[in-house]
Amino acid sequence: MASKTLVGIAALVVVIILIAGVFLYMGRGATVVWASTQLNPAQEQAFVKEELLPPFTQETGIEVQFVAISYSDLATRLEAEMQAGKVTIDLIGDLHGGLDLFASKGWLEDLSKFGALEGRTFLPSLEKFSNIHGIKAYIPWMTATYVMVVNKKAFDYLPEGLTKDDVIKGTDKWTYDALLAWAKKLYEETGSPKLGFPAGPKGLFVRFLHGYLYPAFTGAQVKNFNSPEAVQMWEYLRELWKYVHPSSTTWDAMADPLLREEVWIAWDHTARIKDAIVQKPDQFVVVPVPKGPKGRAFILVVAGLAIPKNAPNADAAWKLIDYLTRPEVQVKVLEKVGFFPTVKEATGAIPSGPLKIMSEGVATQLGAPDALVAMIPSLGPKGGDFKQIYLTAFEQIVLNNQDPAAVLPDLAQQLMNLFKEVGAPLPPPDA
Amino acid sequence: MRVERDKLLPYILVAPSIAYMAFFIGYPLLEGVRLAFVDEKGRFTLANIEYMLYSVHSKFWDALKFTTLLAGVVIPIEVAIAIALAMLLTYKFKGRDLAVYVVVLPLVISDVAAGLIWYSMLTGGGFLNKLLLNLGVISEPVIFFGREYLWREFVAVVLAEVWRSTAIVFVILFAGLQMISGELIEAAEVFGASPMQKLRHIILPLLKPSLQAALIIRTLFAFQVFGSVWILAGRDIPVLAGEAYYEQVELHHTGVAALYALVIACISLFLGFIYIKSFRAKYLEVGV
Repeated sequence: MASKTLVGIAALVVVIILIAGVFLYMGRGATVVWASTQLNPAQEQAFVKEELLPPFTQETGIEVQFVAISYSDLATRLEAEMQAGKVTIDLIGDLHGGLDLFASKGWLEDLSKFGALEGRTFLPSLEKFSNIHGIKAYIPWMTATYVMVVNKKAFDYLPEGLTKDDVIKGTDKWTYDALLAWAKKLYEETGSPKLGFPAGPKGLFVRFLHGYLYPAFTGAQVKNFNSPEAVQMWEYLRELWKYVHPSSTTWDAMADPLLREEVWIAWDHTARIKDAIVQKPDQFVVVPVPKGPKGRAFILVVAGLAIPKNAPNADAAWKLIDYLTRPEVQVKVLEKVGFFPTVKEATGAIPSGPLKIMSEGVATQLGAPDALVAMIPSLGPKGGDFKQIYLTAFEQIVLNNQDPAAVLPDLAQQLMNLFKEVGAPLPPPDA
Repeated sequence: MRVERDKLLPYILVAPSIAYMAFFIGYPLLEGVRLAFVDEKGRFTLANIEYMLYSVHSKFWDALKFTTLLAGVVIPIEVAIAIALAMLLTYKFKGRDLAVYVVVLPLVISDVAAGLIWYSMLTGGGFLNKLLLNLGVISEPVIFFGREYLWREFVAVVLAEVWRSTAIVFVILFAGLQMISGELIEAAEVFGASPMQKLRHIILPLLKPSLQAALIIRTLFAFQVFGSVWILAGRDIPVLAGEAYYEQVELHHTGVAALYALVIACISLFLGFIYIKSFRAKYLEVGV
């Protein structure tokens, strides 16, 4: 008798739990699955889950599941889901290169069908790149770039014909030749080299080679790797390197050398100079990079938001896109993780201070009339080999003083093979 | 039955360590060989070896050269300093214990931290340059780091390594020295031996087992050197372990990285073998 009662009670408990579970499941509303290759470090994930998304869920009742994922995992998963015809990802956050590839395979929804996002103007250069393969493939979400930082002391040593204004505004006089003259004068008059690059093993100097110098001198990152213009470019760099701080080959980020005043002019990724500007906002200015014979070339890092075809909660995902591109949300992202806004309204909303100094420099560079935008190619795991080709060229030509004409042909062949092997398109401005 | 149990006992006793070694050393080693010589499709390949030895992008020969050079410079200096310190500290004086602690202190500092300490000492605005500038010895900071000043970088690395890891050699030799019976030294003194003679004929021979242990440990560490070099010189001074790291993390060449690891393992095994062969101390055989 007692055992029968026990069984009865147990059964009742199980039934109640089941009903409650089903009830809760039905009542929780839509859950948007957001797979992102960006904001993956633990700290940034915590920001997304604890600060960025809760206000959105409160406002709309839509739960968001943020999935931090590597590019290669995302590509594999998306391919499998597309082939199986059962898509589980509602929203993708990825860099331009990856989204470009997904769009080329027809995996992305044309976002123009959702209409316009009101009250925000996207930067024209970003808007242009998001319309690819005949569709509006993604909404520009966050951006970053590599800029130059100048210690104000360096303005006392400007070469003839170059003014402080030229440098800050990025006029036609702010050229690579002017940079050379400036670095030379600094070296001669202060007694030590004052220009620095992050050319250490973990530094991003390679981006300066393929995304800044190459396009500025040859008009392309890859196509003209071995060309008369490229030879000129390497000869220029060899000359410039005489006035570059030799310890550059051990620096991974420029914030510290700038703060230690070992260098007065430096080039680096915005995230890697931030510390210097935050600690001494009155000492530094962020300026656009110089221009070369083919234009003012710079790398634009754009992260975009895209919706895969047949996503289960496409409308909810669009609402999340709407939320993430609001000016105040974009400013919050800049403050917490250092990615710059993609909408003009947000740039105006940044409170004055170090971030304002940086975003002004970035905005001047992005808005330059002679801008030549370069994008980092999407080569997946082969990205390392891509970088190494430029670094080997640098080491042999500039550090070991070899003849560019002897070094470049072999490496150019390797570079071309790399793109063929991966089947990736050449990155802008080549394509 | 009893006899068989006795025969088996040693094997049973070592079985746990064998299992441990097989799992934590044997298996990764085999996996390393597989990564180095088998491609993604499961075929045997020599591509990784070819890349490592001949590619313009590979710094294998430089890495081998600098790793060996660094070991060759650092280890003799460390052993000499460690023997001197150990002998000095066997004399009883006030504050001796404190002195021992201070000498051993760098042992608790990681190689990366040691690299950072020396970087901040030697850098342009660092302690050494400020001192020299204030003393009026120099008018411009001495630049220690950068490819252009490869040999200054090398000196910085040697300084950091000697500072950091003399302690481990010292600890072993100091312990060995404590075990040498005072009677032997007294006997030598009775026969009128000079300090050099005592060192040459009594102390060094009796120190051999400790010296062997110290040299094996220190040499194996020398071929794994990474953190301090990476911080102080980046890839200006390539070393084997640093190249393994770079190939894996920056270039995603897992097979090549595994190959570097195997090269380091082979060198270590070979050197360990040489040491054990050449240090077979005679007195041990006599003493048994």
